Amino acid sequence: MVLDAIETTCVYCGCGCGLYLHVEDSKIIAVTPSMKPPARGRLCAKGWLLHGFANHPDRLREPLMRRGDRYVQTSWSEVLSFIAKSFADIKRDSGPDALAVLTSAKATNEENYLLMKLCRAALGTNNIDNVARLCHAPTLFALGSSLGSGSMTNPIESLLHSDLIMIIGSNTTEQHPVVSFYVMEARRNGAKIIVMDPRRTQIAEIADLHLQMRPGTDIALLNAILNVVIREGMIDEEFIRSRTDGFDEVHDRVAEYTPEAAERICGVPAELIHDAAVMYGSAGDAAIVYAMGITQHAHGTDNVQAIVNLALATGNLGRDGSGIYPLRGHQNVQGACDMGALPDYYTGYQKVSEFREKFEDSWNVELPASQGRTAIEIMSSAGSEIRGMYISGENPALSYPDSSRIRSALESLDLLVVADIFPTETTRMADVVLPIASFAEKYGTVTSTERKVQLIRKAIDPPGNALPEWVVAAKLLEIFGISAGYDSSAAVMREIAALTPSYGGISHERLERGGIHWPCPTQEHPGTPVLYRDGFPRGRALFRHVDQHECGDGRFTLIIGRSQYHFHTGSMTRRVCILEREVPEAFVDVNPKDAASLGIRNGTGVILESESGTIRARARLSDSVSSGTLFMPFHFRESPANMLTGWQLDPHSKIPSLKITSVSIRREGA
Amino acid sequence: MMFFLEKNDLPELLRRASAYFEIIAPVLVNGEPQLVSWRGEDLALGAPNPLLPPTRLFLPPRETLFTYLQESGLYTFQVPQVKERLIVGVRPCDLRALSLLDRIMLSEPADELYSKRRRSTAIVALSCTEPSESCFCAQMGSGPEAHEGFDLLLTDLGERYLLETGSPDGIMLARLSEELLERGDDAEKRALMRESRERILSARPWLSQERMRSKLREIDWRSMSRECISCGGCSFVCPTCHCFTIADLGLPDGERIRCADSCILSGFHRMASGANPKARPEERLLSWYMEKLEYMLSRAGMPGCVGCGRCERVCFSGLHKTDLFR
Ligand code: SF4
Ligand code: SF4
Ligand code: SF4
Repeated sequence: MVLDAIETTCVYCGCGCGLYLHVEDSKIIAVTPSMKPPARGRLCAKGWLLHGFANHPDRLREPLMRRGDRYVQTSWSEVLSFIAKSFADIKRDSGPDALAVLTSAKATNEENYLLMKLCRAALGTNNIDNVARLCHAPTLFALGSSLGSGSMTNPIESLLHSDLIMIIGSNTTEQHPVVSFYVMEARRNGAKIIVMDPRRTQIAEIADLHLQMRPGTDIALLNAILNVVIREGMIDEEFIRSRTDGFDEVHDRVAEYTPEAAERICGVPAELIHDAAVMYGSAGDAAIVYAMGITQHAHGTDNVQAIVNLALATGNLGRDGSGIYPLRGHQNVQGACDMGALPDYYTGYQKVSEFREKFEDSWNVELPASQGRTAIEIMSSAGSEIRGMYISGENPALSYPDSSRIRSALESLDLLVVADIFPTETTRMADVVLPIASFAEKYGTVTSTERKVQLIRKAIDPPGNALPEWVVAAKLLEIFGISAGYDSSAAVMREIAALTPSYGGISHERLERGGIHWPCPTQEHPGTPVLYRDGFPRGRALFRHVDQHECGDGRFTLIIGRSQYHFHTGSMTRRVCILEREVPEAFVDVNPKDAASLGIRNGTGVILESESGTIRARARLSDSVSSGTLFMPFHFRESPANMLTGWQLDPHSKIPSLKITSVSIRREGA
Repeated sequence: MMFFLEKNDLPELLRRASAYFEIIAPVLVNGEPQLVSWRGEDLALGAPNPLLPPTRLFLPPRETLFTYLQESGLYTFQVPQVKERLIVGVRPCDLRALSLLDRIMLSEPADELYSKRRRSTAIVALSCTEPSESCFCAQMGSGPEAHEGFDLLLTDLGERYLLETGSPDGIMLARLSEELLERGDDAEKRALMRESRERILSARPWLSQERMRSKLREIDWRSMSRECISCGGCSFVCPTCHCFTIADLGLPDGERIRCADSCILSGFHRMASGANPKARPEERLLSWYMEKLEYMLSRAGMPGCVGCGRCERVCFSGLHKTDLFR
């Protein structure tokens, strides 16, 4: 019966806020923020209410196996040998590429690493991916190919040094609250803020300029800004000459993107575009912050590239206060990618095609060379080429596009193993359900959006027989005859560090004293908060011209996003009574003018229909969206917004176009 | 009674008390002061006041009111045990907040768990000789000295503590360590407290309860609240906040829990019809301050702000800076 305070990292968004769990008798009774950066004493409501779900009675406590349409409790040893045997059977009959693993952005680095090892070394396939495919795959591709590293260039705190912060496609106050704290601090210290968003969000209200473009017209807008910056002579010629390639083509081709031309595409007055460009171009240190409003498009990679072009042309990289800030959605989505839970990379973005031998030598097994599939490709071949799948802590039945198609894909598998902390729409389809320890019940590391590797610490015991997933993965590896004798997650990190240059100097012992920004190649290295101070890893950074793509022609464009009080598919936040009380059901924001013409009032039930499906939700009249635009969050199984989305993929990164969908809307019963 | 206690002897005094009580004290956890069960670590009495107010040990942000078990249609209930505790290092502001909570939670019908915890907890208070920048207890009449509500009171005199007893329990506790104590007087303490009070007052000479109350309706809450993200943090750290919500988790077995709630959150005010009289953050912020500065005063005879400064430390905006009332 003791009262304790354990410092750990928030489980929800990629801000990576440090906080203390106050624990009494293995129950979390309170949460307070850490005073260290990035939290610096601040948390959003989800963070303050983190005591709400870990001790919830709905937690999965025992391994479950399907018998007919019921689940029966079983032991770990039985369930693990069943999984191993079934996967081995599938592998024997249909080859290793009939298997696939989707890892979790909620799991630790150590867990992602062991699942990656399990997939490649034991199952023998590169069919591994994680939820980054649905949020920042375009970032990885565009920033990786043009700058050398597919992640945030500067730490969050760097925003305090910015003279100007341009925010595009990010509802920062709601989705990355603690980043918005730094934006607001910067503003209080005199920084200018420009927000580009089809919705008038809270951060847009605070901004000096808000450019409310039509959904999906980001490239036209960004190109037009570059166009003005060039015409007004505000580019950084020295930077372009000494550190980049490919500017000339961009220079010539953005000439057609005059503010007037962009106005016709984006619906933003040319004058406002001009003002924003001058404001951006004349700022000393300017930062660009973006999130899924940029990436979740069938041309997401091009969107990100347009941002890169702008930052390169003005030399806004490699200094405090400048830089590009892709904001990651999950606590450890950065880490899941860093750990090689990607079909084409091992840890630290070491290409499968180049580094296979290195990993074969270290793990002492032969590794697959075949091309792995991405998340959406895995789903689309489920039931045909893919027959067995391990899903760790994700809920694709609700979070992936075109939910009904996903559900039938999952149903048609021979073996579906799902590991999670709560029953979800996806565990309900599983043949085997594994009960997993939550973030508060295990040790490990997670990597936040600012490339900061931080510890999570065990505060309470897992319920029932739930186990940390690294233990599960280690046991499975052992059954497959690939043992490395891991006795703790710190031991797993030692193996990661030995194999991964950017994590080379990272160990749990060091992290006890605070987080470290990768790259951190050696034990003595302090970490690298700001990238590209003295150059780009690929030599010179690359411009690449991108053109605006065709936009949807439907009468209504639905934007799908989030509420600040819920996280992802709500499996955690909807079990926290106060968060659930704040936003208990899905809503569709409708502009009052549209509402009048459709006969819709505040609170009216409406039917939304797209090519993929039909759902019902309640209308909320709001002038935060313009006429023709609708907005809806996707957390709610009762109104699953992703029933409406389709499977158009970005050709480079294979991200599906989750952000916008052409829909029709009508009053329920009309 | 007043005694001098050598600083080195405080742990021994607490060790003796630990035969009767679980000792809760501020210690540094990864560099930050936190209230935890004391196991002999260095005490962090000189560090800033922990963010989690000690009042929350009596009304935890999440607590189980009882667990229920169903068997063949019959329910059995189990209520949690309450333990004997000694909380060390409670500052005068938080002590005042506790007596305000007493007036609210113990008025009939008294809250059962709160009153059980209250009865089984002893308090060693700490005079504030080193106020933080965000403190304004002196202006709110709650510090930096403690006058009542403690069993023992410590004042840091540099080399040693002045130990004062405030209750029969406090005298008993002091007796346990009699030979460590030396008869003392408060001459030195009075000088230190005068200094501390002046320091707090001169940091904000213009601030007073009357000023805050009269300014309340003049503040442009609308533009001020544009940066409020409705995180609830100001309520969750405020030592006088005590609103809660109740939920039953689990069927057929489970627990009834009580959770800290906040009137800063919009859903707190939403009515069954869906209408919300306080849908806008500026309305909620004004009512938050009205509650603190006017309603609590008229209901419980004390203002609901004790000047601990915690709300400012956690706020995203400038909304809880006392400058607002300038
Ligand atoms: S901002 Fe993100 S990391 Fe911080 S408390 Fe909120 S959800 Fe957690
Ligand atoms: S209102 Fe702020 S300063 Fe006053 S008691 Fe509450 S937290 Fe402390
Ligand atoms: S702490 Fe600040 S931002 Fe959070 S609810 Fe209170 S006033 Fe708003």
